[in-house]
Amino acid sequence: MSAAAALLRRHPLLGAIFITILLHVCGTVLIEGYSSPFSIRAMLVLAALLAIASTGQTLVIILGGIDLSIPFVIGFANVVAAQLTGQGMPFWLVAGIVAVLALAIGAINGALSAALRIHPLIVTLGVGTVVQGLVLIWTKGFPSGSAPGFVSAFVSIGGSLGPLPVPGLIPALIVMAVVLVVLLGRTSYGRKLYAQGGNPTAAPFALINPLAMWVITFALSAFFAAVAGVLLLGFTGSAYGDVGQPYLFQTIAAVVIGGTSLIGGRGSYPGTLAGAVALTEINTLLIGLGLQPSLVQAALGAIIILLVSLYGREPHLRTTI
Amino acid sequence: MSPASIASRVQQMLSRAGFGLVLLVVLLALNVWLNPARFAPGAWGTLIGLAAPLLGAALASTPPILGGRGGIDVSIGPLMGFINAVVVAVLIGQFGLSEPWVVIPAALVMGAGIGLCNGLLAAYVRIQPIVATLGTYLVLTGLTITIVPAPIGTIPEWLRAFNQGLSFLPPVAILLIWWGVRRLPYYDQLMATGSDDRAAYTAGLNVPFIRLLSYVLTGLFGGIAALSLGALIGSADPNVGPSYTLLAISAAALGGVSLAGGRGGLVWAAIGAIDIFLLQSALTFFNVSTFVLQVAYGAVLVLAVSSTALQERFLAPEANR
Repeated sequence: MSAAAALLRRHPLLGAIFITILLHVCGTVLIEGYSSPFSIRAMLVLAALLAIASTGQTLVIILGGIDLSIPFVIGFANVVAAQLTGQGMPFWLVAGIVAVLALAIGAINGALSAALRIHPLIVTLGVGTVVQGLVLIWTKGFPSGSAPGFVSAFVSIGGSLGPLPVPGLIPALIVMAVVLVVLLGRTSYGRKLYAQGGNPTAAPFALINPLAMWVITFALSAFFAAVAGVLLLGFTGSAYGDVGQPYLFQTIAAVVIGGTSLIGGRGSYPGTLAGAVALTEINTLLIGLGLQPSLVQAALGAIIILLVSLYGREPHLRTTI
Repeated sequence: MSPASIASRVQQMLSRAGFGLVLLVVLLALNVWLNPARFAPGAWGTLIGLAAPLLGAALASTPPILGGRGGIDVSIGPLMGFINAVVVAVLIGQFGLSEPWVVIPAALVMGAGIGLCNGLLAAYVRIQPIVATLGTYLVLTGLTITIVPAPIGTIPEWLRAFNQGLSFLPPVAILLIWWGVRRLPYYDQLMATGSDDRAAYTAGLNVPFIRLLSYVLTGLFGGIAALSLGALIGSADPNVGPSYTLLAISAAALGGVSLAGGRGGLVWAAIGAIDIFLLQSALTFFNVSTFVLQVAYGAVLVLAVSSTALQERFLAPEANR
């Protein structure tokens, strides 16, 4: 038992995968149709959307920060993309505008946090609030427009890609995950990210520019949030400024369940993928068991605490001296 | 305390909480000039009653932040909502126990009990505080909606007074308890833990226990703030509580409480909370839309925190880490 616990502590990814399999088996036994192709495809799409929204959170948390602006950037991208598409702008231009603005929002987050040494929690919250307010002023609170058809097809639960029985989103996410794993493990950016997060005091002596790292990483975070926002537009069909709100805490939960430490310097993207799938399984299972939404929320909170206490505990203070 | 040491403490406070305090004076002057009737002495009871829940939430959220190493309690908003729901809907509504000597101790005990849970999870189970309290956030929000699906209930006359003539009582009670805590060795131990927990641990302090108590204080203060909240809304409402979390933490940061721990105090959090309240109050007077209010609020949060950081950098370079 203690050997298993030690193994989980060293490889938290295994924990998330184990929990996911366990939950899936429970679901299949308890709920009819839980493992039906449609249900699995639905869970995969929901988990993929959460995983994309959590991508930036993973990078930012490895860096030693946290990004609370993700839900606001998701809502921003969602509404702006719909509004501009509705005005007849071609989609490549819309995507470009949204991407550039999102990168700029993220860069502001990173620059303010790093240059002035303000806690990113407050900076991202403040900047996010401003972004959301500006979007509301621009649309007067009633966003219009919808997603181009191919974006909807790309994330549709019933969609398929050639012979594959899943929408294009799933293979695209796998390609993106491979790119991220290479980025984190095999490039100088990845090494610098872990070094800066692991020891911010030592990093400058290794010729790492903290400001540049924070600006780039927060810009990436906002970029991935914007991607999630546009994909959510395709998923739900119409624009909704608060569409990102559930992702405020869910991205953090997915990252943490995936074994990435909030202290920084540790973690992996496959972990986040597993965390996103685990969270989706929990949600689906609880709703499938017929719990009211409010009780689902309460149970979700208890399960997050339980999971993290199984394999996501911090070391005792005495081991850090 | 000698006059000289008081003077030096005041000077110390001014140099760090400077911007929040300046903002407070400016906003207060602006508010009095714009809306003298609302700020006339006769209306102070109602005015303080409006501000009291936010003020209480900001005061309550501060002790774990002072304890450092990511200490934070994001469950403070749902905690207030939960206690409000239990007190108004269950204690008063179902059991008819509306006497103050039943309701007030019940609110305090519930708050301290939830705080104890948070503290055990964060300090002893060693789950990262934001994740642990996010778990309780979800649990409390879910339970509150389960107990009270929609706003119901009425409050007794004595509780209504906390929104009128006696509205100053709950915040003052929190500050009095904190004043008492500051006389104890515990306060210095908490600040030492927040400044450098490894040094504090090496010096023989029981760091986990000190952090545990800081969460119990948050819960206790949250219970008091819940009374203000109940008095303000006059019923049990499942939706108002959670929104106080981010406001309370913003208020603490705005007032100059360092989210890195070890610096700041409850008075500074109170200044930040009053800033936010006065800002909202002034903007509401101009009858601008809530969207503009949101932008202004976010911008002031970022600007104020940035100015405090800049001021610190230029006025006290030796204080930089």
